[in-house]
Amino acid sequence: MTEIGLGHYLTLGAVIFSIGIIGIFLNRKNIIVILMSIELILLAVNINLVSFSIYLGDLSGQVFTLFILTVAAAEAAIGLAIIVVYYRNSGTIRVEEIDKLKG
Amino acid sequence: MIAHAIFFYVFSIIAIVSAIMVTVSKNTVHSVFFLILDFISISCLFIMVGAEFLGMIMLIVYVGAVAVLFLFVVMMLNVAQQKNQWFISEENSGHIPVGLLISAIIFFELIIVIGGWKYKPDLFETTNLITNEISNTHSLGQVLYTDYIHIFQISGMILLIAMIGAIVLTFRQREGVKKQSYLKQISRERSEGVEVLEVASNKGVKIDD
Amino acid sequence: MEISIIALPLIASIISGFFGKFIGDRNSEIVTSSLVTISAILSVLVFYEVMVNQYQDNIIIATWINSGSLDVNWSMKIDALSSVMLVVVTSVSALVHIYSIGYMSHDPHKPRFMAYLSLFTFAMLMLVTSDNFIQLFFGWEGVGLCSYFLIGFWFKKETANAAAIKAFVVNRVGDFGFALGIFLIFYLFGTVNYSEVFEQIPSITDKELVFLGIEVNAINLICILLFVGAMGKSAQILLHTWLPDAMEGPTPVSALIHAATMVTAGVFLVVRCSPIYEYSELALNIITIVGMSTAFFAASVALVQNDIKKIIAYSTCSQLGYMFFAAGVGAYNVAMFHLFTHAFFKALLFLGSGSVIHAFKDEQNINNMGGVWKKLPYTYALMIIGTLALTGFPLLSGFYSKDAIIEFAYLRGNTTGFYAAGIGIFTAFLTSIYSWRLMFKTFHGEYNNKNIKIEETHESPLVMIVPLIFLSIGAVFAGYAFKELFIGYEAANNFWKDSIFFLEPLSSDHPPFWFLILTPTLVILSIPIAYYLFIKNKKLPEQIITINKPLYNFLLNKWYFDELYDVLFVRSSKKIGLFLWKFFDLKIIDGFGPDGISAIIKRFSLKANKFQSGFIYQYAFVMLLGFSALLTFLIIK
Repeated sequence: MTEIGLGHYLTLGAVIFSIGIIGIFLNRKNIIVILMSIELILLAVNINLVSFSIYLGDLSGQVFTLFILTVAAAEAAIGLAIIVVYYRNSGTIRVEEIDKLKG
Repeated sequence: MIAHAIFFYVFSIIAIVSAIMVTVSKNTVHSVFFLILDFISISCLFIMVGAEFLGMIMLIVYVGAVAVLFLFVVMMLNVAQQKNQWFISEENSGHIPVGLLISAIIFFELIIVIGGWKYKPDLFETTNLITNEISNTHSLGQVLYTDYIHIFQISGMILLIAMIGAIVLTFRQREGVKKQSYLKQISRERSEGVEVLEVASNKGVKIDD
Repeated sequence: MEISIIALPLIASIISGFFGKFIGDRNSEIVTSSLVTISAILSVLVFYEVMVNQYQDNIIIATWINSGSLDVNWSMKIDALSSVMLVVVTSVSALVHIYSIGYMSHDPHKPRFMAYLSLFTFAMLMLVTSDNFIQLFFGWEGVGLCSYFLIGFWFKKETANAAAIKAFVVNRVGDFGFALGIFLIFYLFGTVNYSEVFEQIPSITDKELVFLGIEVNAINLICILLFVGAMGKSAQILLHTWLPDAMEGPTPVSALIHAATMVTAGVFLVVRCSPIYEYSELALNIITIVGMSTAFFAASVALVQNDIKKIIAYSTCSQLGYMFFAAGVGAYNVAMFHLFTHAFFKALLFLGSGSVIHAFKDEQNINNMGGVWKKLPYTYALMIIGTLALTGFPLLSGFYSKDAIIEFAYLRGNTTGFYAAGIGIFTAFLTSIYSWRLMFKTFHGEYNNKNIKIEETHESPLVMIVPLIFLSIGAVFAGYAFKELFIGYEAANNFWKDSIFFLEPLSSDHPPFWFLILTPTLVILSIPIAYYLFIKNKKLPEQIITINKPLYNFLLNKWYFDELYDVLFVRSSKKIGLFLWKFFDLKIIDGFGPDGISAIIKRFSLKANKFQSGFIYQYAFVMLLGFSALLTFLIIK
């Protein structure tokens, strides 16, 4: 228990990842929460990469984390912009009411 | 070691609980706050294991920028107070148990993967080994600006494009706002600028706008 | 020069067919008629060359098929046989073209009609001048096609369309046999060129083949298969049913195609293949029997018909039967002679009847005519000439050719020969009776038409009479003038040379004197008999009819051939077709095939449609489902 190894960190990543997945389809509130869940999933990935990087002594993992960070930021910006536009056009961002994809 | 373990457990429990709260909290603003808490605790973990640059950058980017962006959007759209109806949704809630099941399967599979993985035999011959002689930030900078320079540039481009995209998407021309148009000004002709009218006495002239 | 004989009609057809609208009715008539007339003049020149200078040639125009051992050329074989056909085809065609200008003057589709006529002429010339079986088949099908077009020329008339389709379908039966014959020839000899095939014939006289499970002699089989084709085209008994119906077409067409040229293609084929037929006693006997049956059958039917064109059509059928049994008894040159003379007098009769029909404003029933011989003097005179020639009145062309056929049949000396001669004489008598019946009912007696007054009937215009005069000259003098050349002993051998092949030279004996005068006597006697029956004592034929009612009906219904075929082939195949359509096609093929598959796809896509709800959380859910499946797969692997 006291000896914290790679496995602990990976397990933490797995737990947060699964919570992110649950968050994607359990919430009915609004689509912003889905975006946040995606951020959680990316966070879990980052945890994995960093912990591997540290425990294997290889810097590449951290570099990748940096890039994932960048992409996550961009994705959040674009995603939120889309949500704003959608809200402006249809007046709602409730997940249950977003069915414009239906042909 | 004990200290490491204690800090790990504390932060990871905070992270997990706040992650759960992100998904289940009724108020979206609370969700954003829990997301911030999550990020903070994870970045603390990162700093603890020695990835201090990443930990700090995560605080800056996620907490300082992304989470605040979320907050802004939530407030701007005024959706924070909408009631969360999860588990008591209308008719089509049949997928919720299935979704939980799938999540559980994925979780256990991830655990299996973690338990069963092995090192690649020649792993330690690869480059970019962490040395303790220079700081984490220093060594990251050394590889980031040399080996990964092109990817680094591309990520900069991605951010730029994201910015432009966000502006293009959300920008809208409001009606009734008077704006200057150079082209219109340059191409104005005398005939459309000035009109000579015969003014009848006692009637005056009607001027349209 | 020779090639232009063939090319001119084709050019005329293209000009009139494709550009008729631009150059106008009158111009397309002039173009087609003049080009075909030039072609006819050139043919006469070629015939003269062949006759006087023994000119022979095989002009290869172009290579058509050169594939493996199959080597086929577009060619123009000029010898005595094809030169005779050239003259017949082009001259009758030219006269019919000119006649059509008058006959079709009220028709709105003149350029199309003229184009078909010219195209027909082209196809017929291809047929007669070919030096191989493939080009022959090309022409064969070409004339069949044009015949179809022209029978169905008045396509708004339902009966015309039905007749056109009938002609085409019945010909298909014959063409099937013909095509099989050509395949067999190629299979046995590896070539389809006449000269090469004919060279190899003597070497395979004993070859046996298994056909339909029966072992038959190869040459017999070839001959019979080719003859099946000839039967279809020349409307011999069993395959004759299309010819009377083909009279739905305009009368010039009947004259050109269904009297003078196309229907004689079968005879031409048999004569052209005489080097093969000479080796097949069986096939020759079959030809004789079929020929004389047709001659007798058609003449008997013609006795009671009332439609002027149908009578002449059956008469054509009957005369074709004569030609065939001439060929069947080995007298190919006599068959050709009869073909030659027949073309003139039968075209004359048809065009004359067209003139009569024209005068009566499209009335064809001879019971509704009569007594107009003074009103139509030229037509009457010309029809008389045609009838005399047809019946074989002494010194007219039919006399020389038809009597020669009967004589040669007699001289053949075997049972079929005597039998054929007997039938021939009897049929000649019948021919005479029905021809005069036609003449008397049409031109003499009382005027019977209720629709138009006798004063309104009028003589045809000059453009229709002049071709008739030309034909009547042929009908009168062709027999006497060409008798020596075609069937004389020395001259004929010089003329035909190797275009007709005789295994044993034809007998040069003469039949006994009583036999020679038998036919002419009967023919001359038949005129007063017909006059008595159809003018003087009209009660008598009616009494004969009432006494022999079943026989009369039997003849009137053309021996019930159409009804028999209807029961045997049409209805049964219709039933099979209905079964295959309603049950096999609709239920099984469509049911399991297109309809079944589309029903399944529809059902599944309706299910799949539900997946597209438009809710992104469901899409994400499915995505994660896929992700977990992938993960599971990777772990298990």
